[in-house]
Amino acid sequence: MGVYSLKNIQINMTKEDIISKLTTIVKPYVQNEEGFKNLNENTDFINDLEINSANLVDIILDVEDEFNIEIDNDSMEKMLSVKATVEVIQTKMNA
Amino acid sequence: MHNIGNDIVDLKFAEAQSNWQRKGFLEKQFTQKERRKILSAENPFLTVWLFWSMKEAAYKCYTQKSKERFYAPQKFECILISETKGIVVFEGSTFYTTSFSSTSYVYTTSREEEREILMFSAVVRPSSLEFYLKNKLAQETGFSIEDIQKVKTTNGAPGFYHQEELLTASCSISHHGNYGAYAFNLSHKF
Repeated sequence: MGVYSLKNIQINMTKEDIISKLTTIVKPYVQNEEGFKNLNENTDFINDLEINSANLVDIILDVEDEFNIEIDNDSMEKMLSVKATVEVIQTKMNA
Repeated sequence: MHNIGNDIVDLKFAEAQSNWQRKGFLEKQFTQKERRKILSAENPFLTVWLFWSMKEAAYKCYTQKSKERFYAPQKFECILISETKGIVVFEGSTFYTTSFSSTSYVYTTSREEEREILMFSAVVRPSSLEFYLKNKLAQETGFSIEDIQKVKTTNGAPGFYHQEELLTASCSISHHGNYGAYAFNLSHKF
C-alpha cells in the first residue's frame, strides 16, 4: 500500500540523531553557554546547562511534540540529563 | 537535623520564559486538586508560581536528606492554609512552607517541622548571593567573611565551612531571573 509510517522512521533514528534534536530543544533554556558547547551524553540539564527547573516541563513537552511520544510521570522523573532523556525517548519510540 | 529549603520565582522572568497556559504545562506538574485551585483563583498566573515555589522549596528540603535528584513535581502536593502558610505533602512526608509574594517575585521557605525555627533568609541580587550569605554567616558566627568557604554537594545544596567546621546545619539557595535567595540555619554550636 505504500503507507507512510512515521513510526518506522523513528525506530531508525540513531542516538546521535536524537541527541541532535534534543540539543535544538534545550537551546532556548540554556543559561550556561560553555556547558552547551560541550553538550554530550553525560550533560546534566541543571548542573551543566543551568537550565531553570521551571523550564524542565517545557523540555518534556517539546520532546513529546518533536518525537511524537507520550512521557508518563515515572519516565519524566529521570529526565535530568541528556543520557536519561535519550533512554526515555528510545524506549517510548520503540514501544 | 532539621532541613530547610527555599525557592524564588521572578514573576517577570516567569512570564517571559514560561507559558503556564501551554498545553500540558499544568497537567504535567500539578495535581488535579491544584489545577482546580489554579483555574478558579483570582490570579491563576500567580497561583501557578506560588505552588511551583512551594513544590521546589519542599523538594530542596527533601533532597538534602535523600541525596537523590529527580523531577516529579506532581508528587509534591500543595495545600494552602492561609495566604502565606502552606503545607506540601510528598510520599507521606509533610513540609511546612511560608511564602511571600510581591508584584515582582514569589518567595517560599520550607522546613520539616511545623514549629517555627530560627532561619536566616533573604532575597538578594543573584550576582551577590554568596557574598550576602557569607556576610550574614560572619555576623552570626563571629568569623571573618574571608575565612568562610562554600562547599558544593552533589544534590546542589551547599554547605558553608570555617576551616573544617560546618557552620550551616542546612542551607538552600535559589536563583531565578533577576533574583537570588538564600535560607540557612546554623549548626548547633552557634
